[in-house]
Amino acid sequence: MFRFLKIESFKLFYKLKSWLGPMLIMILVLTAFPLSIDISQFDLEKFYFSIIVVSLLMTSFLATEGMFEEDFEDGSLEQEFLVEQDFYKIVLSKIFVYVCFIGVPIAFIGAIFSFANGVAIGSFMNVFFLLSLSNLLLFNLFAFGNALSINKGAMLGVITTLPLALPVIILLGTAIRSIQYEDGFLEISSLMIGVGFLISAIMPLIISTALKTHID
Amino acid sequence: MKLISAQKISYKINEKKLFHNLSFEVFSGEGLHIKGGNGSGKSTLLKILLGITSITKGSIEYNNQDLKISYLGHKNAIKHYLTPSQNLQLLFDDATLSNAFEWLEKLDLFQMQDELTANLSFGQQKKLALIRVLAQSPELIVLDEPFVGLDHAASDLLNNFLIQKLSEGTGIILTSHIHPSFECQVIALGERNV
Repeated sequence: MFRFLKIESFKLFYKLKSWLGPMLIMILVLTAFPLSIDISQFDLEKFYFSIIVVSLLMTSFLATEGMFEEDFEDGSLEQEFLVEQDFYKIVLSKIFVYVCFIGVPIAFIGAIFSFANGVAIGSFMNVFFLLSLSNLLLFNLFAFGNALSINKGAMLGVITTLPLALPVIILLGTAIRSIQYEDGFLEISSLMIGVGFLISAIMPLIISTALKTHID
Repeated sequence: MKLISAQKISYKINEKKLFHNLSFEVFSGEGLHIKGGNGSGKSTLLKILLGITSITKGSIEYNNQDLKISYLGHKNAIKHYLTPSQNLQLLFDDATLSNAFEWLEKLDLFQMQDELTANLSFGQQKKLALIRVLAQSPELIVLDEPFVGLDHAASDLLNNFLIQKLSEGTGIILTSHIHPSFECQVIALGERNV
């Protein structure tokens, strides 16, 4: 497992476009949106979180695009299959590395912007925690979409995973309201942690099967 | 020692039989050359032997489940956005990395170790990919068209390497349009509808 984590970290580190691109887009959207519309600070505070959530959805989709395609195209998946006989550990490592290298920094950027737009300083860690958890869920879902759409175009991935991402968005919205109204944060974050554990364990299994079907 | 044994294996794709009731065995220090025209199923047969592709009928048995296999297919499994040196770091652990770098030198790639792999020619990329096989000590080597894209010097080097590995007891299975310069069993796969 450690070998895979090392390999995936090494690969992602040198794929500048894959990790820097989503972060820059996140910053760009969060900066450009308030600048592009004529709106008072009071109104902005009310719905700025929605912009963060949509940016999060968009950038996590972008970050996972081509997650497995490159390894499939260059034959690395076949090589790894020879050693491991399945893809579970590889998928688990890849998602973990992507969440750590891209998901967590994106969540951090989102949390900073929420703080800059009127969220209490004391809530910063809560927002960061929720956005990171949401990214964990979204990265798992979009990784599944990416695994499905190898050789079949990105549309299949989008059509399959966007409906699955909607409950995550609803969950995140509820969690954010719990921060804004300081009510039920512990319950909703516990629910998200539970769902996060479940999806992180099950989704690599499904993705692994999808990848095996592709190389067969 | 028997490394791999295929018994009456058949494979069909889109209702067309690529091969039917094929049986063979590969022992330590023995070579197997699979030949045939384009689309005759050479690469598929290799993938079947490696367990990547599932057979329609028949069985494949390995000497043991932990049989150490080195494989190089049509796809090079190298990263174009990394340098050759970084590619080797990705493929090899600390114990075998120095050996891999020795092969980099033998294959005239040492001067290019810090250039982007995407900038190397097809033949140079093929040589880099071959190091995956050359710098390891497997029990079985499986190669799909290993000589394609290689210059004479590299082809000779690979040939000599394979001959040496055979003498050391390694089994070799390869597909190629040209007959390798060592004695081996030959399986000729027919045209697509055979």
